[in-house]
Amino acid sequence: MELSTRARIKRVIIDTLGLEGMTPDMIADDAPLFGPPDAEGAGLGLDSIDALELLVVFEKDFGVSVETEEIDLEAFSCVASLEAFVRKFQRDQVPASEAPQG
Amino acid sequence: MTAVAITGLGSVASCGHGRGALELALRESRVDLVEIDRDRGFHLAASARHAARAAVTDLSPWLAPAASRRMSPPSRLAAAAARMALEDANLAMSPGAEDRCAVFLATGYGPSSYTERILEQVIREGPSSASPMLFTESVANAPAAQVALLERATGANVTVTQLEAGALHAVARGAQELVSGRADRVLAGAVEELSPLLHAILDRYHALVRPGRGGEVARPFDRRRSGYVAGEGAAVLVLERAADAAARGAETLANLEGWSRAFDPSAPPSGWGERPERTAAALKRRLERAGFDLGTTDLIVSGANGSRRGDRAAGLVLRSAFRGATLPPVVTPAAMLGAFCGNTLGAAVLAARGAGFGPTPGFEEIDPDLGIRPHDGSPLPLPRRVLVESTATGGAAVWLALGRPA
Amino acid sequence: MASCGRVAVTGLGAVSGFGWSAAELWSGLLSGRTAILPAARFDTRGQRTHVVSEVPSLPSSFPPDSARSRRHSRADRFAVAAARDAMAQAHLAPGTPEVGVFFGGSTAGIAGGERFLEALLSGSAGRVPLGLLAAQPLNAPGDAVARAFDLDGPVETVSSACASGSLAVGLALRSLRAGEVDCAVAGGSDALCSLTYSGFNALRAVDPEPCRPFRADRAGLSLGEGAGVLVLEPWERALERGVRPLAELLGAGASCDAHHMTAPHPQGAGAAAAIRSALEDAGLDPTAVDFVNAHGTGTPLNDLAEWHALTAVFGERASELPVTSTKGAIGHLLGSAGAIEAVATVQSLLAGLIHPTSGEGPVDPAIGVDLVLGAPREVGRDAVALSTSLAFGGANAALILAGWSDRR
Repeated sequence: MELSTRARIKRVIIDTLGLEGMTPDMIADDAPLFGPPDAEGAGLGLDSIDALELLVVFEKDFGVSVETEEIDLEAFSCVASLEAFVRKFQRDQVPASEAPQG
Repeated sequence: MTAVAITGLGSVASCGHGRGALELALRESRVDLVEIDRDRGFHLAASARHAARAAVTDLSPWLAPAASRRMSPPSRLAAAAARMALEDANLAMSPGAEDRCAVFLATGYGPSSYTERILEQVIREGPSSASPMLFTESVANAPAAQVALLERATGANVTVTQLEAGALHAVARGAQELVSGRADRVLAGAVEELSPLLHAILDRYHALVRPGRGGEVARPFDRRRSGYVAGEGAAVLVLERAADAAARGAETLANLEGWSRAFDPSAPPSGWGERPERTAAALKRRLERAGFDLGTTDLIVSGANGSRRGDRAAGLVLRSAFRGATLPPVVTPAAMLGAFCGNTLGAAVLAARGAGFGPTPGFEEIDPDLGIRPHDGSPLPLPRRVLVESTATGGAAVWLALGRPA
Repeated sequence: MASCGRVAVTGLGAVSGFGWSAAELWSGLLSGRTAILPAARFDTRGQRTHVVSEVPSLPSSFPPDSARSRRHSRADRFAVAAARDAMAQAHLAPGTPEVGVFFGGSTAGIAGGERFLEALLSGSAGRVPLGLLAAQPLNAPGDAVARAFDLDGPVETVSSACASGSLAVGLALRSLRAGEVDCAVAGGSDALCSLTYSGFNALRAVDPEPCRPFRADRAGLSLGEGAGVLVLEPWERALERGVRPLAELLGAGASCDAHHMTAPHPQGAGAAAAIRSALEDAGLDPTAVDFVNAHGTGTPLNDLAEWHALTAVFGERASELPVTSTKGAIGHLLGSAGAIEAVATVQSLLAGLIHPTSGEGPVDPAIGVDLVLGAPREVGRDAVALSTSLAFGGANAALILAGWSDRR
């Protein structure tokens, strides 16, 4: 279920990257993850090391498998694009009915 | 030599943070120990159980949580101490673009817990599980790099790794950078992180004092000393050319008047050498070549920490260097603060300003081989010159000579 | 304090994937071959990439282990071997007083620590010799050199990632000029280890093929191991001792990007500052430089940033300046890279030849560098060279070396 994958991704971002005080509902699906926060303070200010850190978790826990040359940093631009990236490179697809809820 | 002034001191240690906490602990002979985590299975049953870990409750006044989220523990300590030092020097804002600020930071073992964690990932889960974040922050120069990032210090960035002698090497090199005009300001100091694994390893080398009849007490220069209490923390000094400090009306804590450095090649990697006379002669000769007369020393701040062989090496070097003269009073900050060379450095700066030192905790009986009685707590006159010494595991030895501010 | 005047390089030593001598390093570099090969001894199971530059087995002609050297880590052995050669060339006897050791490294004997931790985690640490840890601390290789050759001068190790070796040579220069030492043994040593190998792979910074510095399709760095050592002394002292200067160390500079923990400043601002600082230290204008031994790791970011640094310093002349990198041949030696590259630079100056950069493929069109490819390029015997080392964490170091000239 799309919602649950996005929610899992948000949880991973917060926990893996040590974003204290943040909750998943504070991260909009289309909020820019990288680069400094935008004018409205909506971006998360993550960088390339954070992207690689997330990648390790996606590989370990989401069954993603990707060659270095296939990594496109555009995929990391927001949670929605990350979800598409995960789906694209997931080797072990989890059936929708078994996906965790919420 | 162009006069170099120490204008700021930032410190995170077992006694708390800042100059005030350091002074209090030294004056009142306070020893702040905590129990180390021995549940990971690294420690032997009979091992040391305590350490002088940095008393870090909240570093946020000097380090924003957002900036520190990926930092290893020593990076956090160093960054906080650097900011504290700059504030102490009244340089709270980062140096202007025209200022060239260099960073010379020492560490013995680097970010030990992050190194351990990433090794564990590689060993248990395989290399592809290695965390990029942990790796980046596990390198010895991570703290110095983080300090430079936060303070926008674009001058030389050097991490000295020479165990207990590192802090004094860093200050000497920092001063050299100022004297040559390659930097206008230097952040120099040391940082050490004491992880449970590192503590366990030090203990396995019988470097640490263990629980026993005498208690787990470090006894610098004492006849029955049997090891040190491991320390942890960060100490950073702001160094400037004295003329620049005067021009901006800065308060000088102490002046750096000289240094000398040597090595005892008879020392094994995890011990000390058998040639204290040769080392002392080299240190003395090199200090005199720098224009400094050892005879003007009023106080010695020694890195001696209760190590059986380490204190012996330090003591014999001092005895040899001061042969034919009475040894000035000797204080051993490690007795209060735990063994961490940054603490020795911080205490030395305070000593140069006339800070009081209480009776040396743990000292009971003189070692006849050394004949050194560390300070008994009686009032000390304001010193003209303070000699700071560090005789490191492995053979390196460094002296700094500090003078009181004018 | 007495001024020491010009500083001469009087001895060289090196251990690399090409062998345990500086001569083998030079012939390897000159040939354009690469020592970056499928890993033979280093365990790359589970890693993303499998090519490395490994130092070959110790030649049988080497002296057997003494009681002291039995506990040496690989990094210690590389350091002592390179120092032995450099000191022999400089006719610098063990036990000579007032000789300092200034070293760089990034992991020292950590491979021993990896085995210790592995044993600890599996509950069998009682059976693993504690001595494995003796060679642990980062100062071990530099101390091993001082110990092996009975030196009592200042001994100092720095660990600033990829800039360490170059910084060490720079610190030696400072100590010589300050009159703190009569002579300096300066260098660096690093050995392959799982921690670093895994870490750089985790950063996706490693090329699965031997790295190709400055090429259009470069894909990352290649890791290597080894040591480089130089003996440095005031030239008058060399003359007094009847030792011929091999080259001159004119200047050293250092800076910090203060930009990011792994990525270089995109315009190479910090690198440019280090280069300018080295030139200023040497009392030279950028126009004096004849060639560059670049950091040239082969990562997409470094090589481009380094190019920007060169254009910032040298302007239009940057595209006419011959540039080479050792890293395509011997890989990235991390803490000892700057030192072994200083050795290679001196060798170029001695031979009057810039060695080529190994690896296939056209140069990146976005990088207008004049990369030395294929055949070695001739230079005058008193040429001036720049060697750069740009580290992880943003520390940068640069050295200016020149062929020995009595006239300078």
